[in-house]
Amino acid sequence: MKLLRRFRSIPVSYRVPVLVALLMVVISAAISERVLSRLSRTQESFLNGLAETYLDGLSSAVVPAVLRADVWEVFDALDRSSASYKSLAPIETVVTGSDGRVLAASDPNRIATYSELSADYRNRYGPDVVTIDEARLTGFAHRDLVYQGQPIGTIHATFDVSHLFAERREILVTLLITNGVLAALFALGGFVLVRQMIGPMRVLEDHMRAAAHGAAEPISHREIPAGDSEVAGLFRGYNALVHAERERANFAMQLAEEEKLSSLGRLASGMAHEINNPLGGLFNALDTLKTHGETPGVRDTSISLIERGLAGIRDVVEAALATYRPERSQRPMTAADLDDVRLLLKPELRRKRQRLDWSVAWNGARELPIRGGPVRQAVLNLLLNASAVTPEDGTVSLTAMSWEDRLHIEIGDQGTGMPADIAGILIDQDPGPAVRAGRGLGLWMVRRVVDDLGGRASIAAKRGGGTAVTLTIPFDREDTKAHAA
Amino acid sequence: MRNLGNPHRATDGVPITRRDLITAAVSGAATLFAPVVLGSEEESFKFGLTPVFLSNDLELLGHLRSYLSARIGGRIELVTRRTYQEITALLVSGQIQSAWICGYPYVQFKADLDLVATPVWHGKPLYQSYLIASADRKADDWAGLKGDVHAFSDPDSNSGFLVTRALLAENRQLAGSFFARSFFTYGHRNVIRAVASGLTQSGSVDGYVYEVMRETEPDLVKQTRIVRKSEWLGFPPIASPKSVANDRRVRALQQALISMQDDAEGRKVLALLRLDGFAATSPSHFDAIAAKVETVRQSG
Repeated sequence: MKLLRRFRSIPVSYRVPVLVALLMVVISAAISERVLSRLSRTQESFLNGLAETYLDGLSSAVVPAVLRADVWEVFDALDRSSASYKSLAPIETVVTGSDGRVLAASDPNRIATYSELSADYRNRYGPDVVTIDEARLTGFAHRDLVYQGQPIGTIHATFDVSHLFAERREILVTLLITNGVLAALFALGGFVLVRQMIGPMRVLEDHMRAAAHGAAEPISHREIPAGDSEVAGLFRGYNALVHAERERANFAMQLAEEEKLSSLGRLASGMAHEINNPLGGLFNALDTLKTHGETPGVRDTSISLIERGLAGIRDVVEAALATYRPERSQRPMTAADLDDVRLLLKPELRRKRQRLDWSVAWNGARELPIRGGPVRQAVLNLLLNASAVTPEDGTVSLTAMSWEDRLHIEIGDQGTGMPADIAGILIDQDPGPAVRAGRGLGLWMVRRVVDDLGGRASIAAKRGGGTAVTLTIPFDREDTKAHAA
Repeated sequence: MRNLGNPHRATDGVPITRRDLITAAVSGAATLFAPVVLGSEEESFKFGLTPVFLSNDLELLGHLRSYLSARIGGRIELVTRRTYQEITALLVSGQIQSAWICGYPYVQFKADLDLVATPVWHGKPLYQSYLIASADRKADDWAGLKGDVHAFSDPDSNSGFLVTRALLAENRQLAGSFFARSFFTYGHRNVIRAVASGLTQSGSVDGYVYEVMRETEPDLVKQTRIVRKSEWLGFPPIASPKSVANDRRVRALQQALISMQDDAEGRKVLALLRLDGFAATSPSHFDAIAAKVETVRQSG
């Protein structure tokens, strides 16, 4: 199993050639086995045929001589037959008489006439015509000589069968070389083919990898193969995807910009209203000063009125500056950030005659190790949304508390509840579908802030109607350490 | 006449040419049809040959027939058989008019046979019998061959049987007990093959055949060595039965043989046989062989 897993981890461009080569080895082993076994059978039947012919010929030649125990005639027949059966390569032939003694051997110096044959010599024959001794590369055959139904002697023949084994070896070597070369060629072919086949996949993989790291670039036309319609189709499909994604991103960015401008507009009009409200009082105070400035009581009251009015205007302007100046967004979060949000929200609440339940349970620290700017943005967006869905005279709520190493902020409304696809922008793993549909861009910005800060959002229905959105934002790790220390 | 090897068996190393085949076919056909064709004409002259010749038997037969036919006239039939005995029987019974036989059968049937001519070898109508053993054998004399498996040539051969048997008889030995075993190979060449191959440890062979084979088959002869040479004895003669003594053709045959070296075809025959010629000899020329027959007979 481990081997299999390791094999699977090898790139496919090496795995396929290796598999092809292995397959070739298996096939060639099977073919070689069949060929050699067939060859061996053919050789044996050929050898048996030759041996039968040899023994037949020799029998008819020596029977009369064996009957007369004519040593010379038997030897003469053996001597002449050795020249006539060269293809059989007889090594030695011995003719024994009815008493088992040697009448003549083809090499009398080795086996003398009238001697007894050894038991090994007599018992070396198997059931086949020719018994092959592979170790000594020799074949043995014997034929009983029968005349008028009586055994009169035996021919014992020994053949050289080394040429059969040499032929088998030669064929085996030829098979090995041929199959080895074929396996190598097929493996090489497989390698080249697979490389060619997965080449386009590599291109696609590179582009997708690049896309994952940011820039999704379409595959250039030069890289799209002209003839391979499947790969070309795939590449074109990928390019279409990249283009569509770019368009959607542009569209989303545009919408986000519009949304930003729209909230900005609302904020601006709120702010203008906030500034405009004291302005009426301020001008009245100025008129009063012009008319009754000499009266000390009136003058002091008017100046005090003007001072408070200007202070209110200053607070609103400062809150707006703190929220929308990027260099300030990196500062650690303080309670003032939430107070600014409250201030910015105020005109909108007033317009809709809504009440704000405000509960901030800080842990006593002046600053929290969280970037304040993004949190303010997110909370402001959620509160603006809550205000938008809450009917007039309704109540919008904010509860913030820090707990151990994280900050919990819950924003409540009295709306009819958040649709699932819009809620998905905040809580789904992939906020894409709703965003791509161009909806809930304010929430998408909240989601980006939450993701960016490593936090998460949850949505729950409130008892007695309405929805509560909870943001859980962890403290920055380094700051956490510092804070803990 | 000595038995040098059966022409129908001794095929080893003898390439048969087309000419040989044609010659053989023609002679064979002639042999088959001769009595029918000639019918009432003079009967063909039958000349018997023990399985004799040296290297190219068919070629020799062709030249011999051609030579004799030209010198004797009429049709010549060459009769060959496997053993000495068969030829001797044909000759003595008068079924053939003449034959090249061995000195041993000649002395046995001296009363029924006339000598026609005796071959001359190395200037004399004499030859020897050899006792041979394998080349690496240490035996110094014939006594060292005791206990051997021994190859004889033919029971009717002087050099290939009688001489050795007489030698043993003279020394009060019997072939059956002196040699562990013995058998006949029916050919002097076969004796040399048997000894060379190791089939037998020793053999009795015609000295003439041995010497000629030393020239024609040196590789075979080299594997053997001579242990003993006999005294010089009468060369196997050409004889004819007394019953045809008046046949013109027998005298013509004698003339043809004696004057063989004067004729081109005759010289070819002599060259193939490695003989100098033929000479007329008296029956006493074979007395030494007769003495051996007597020695053997007395020893039982």
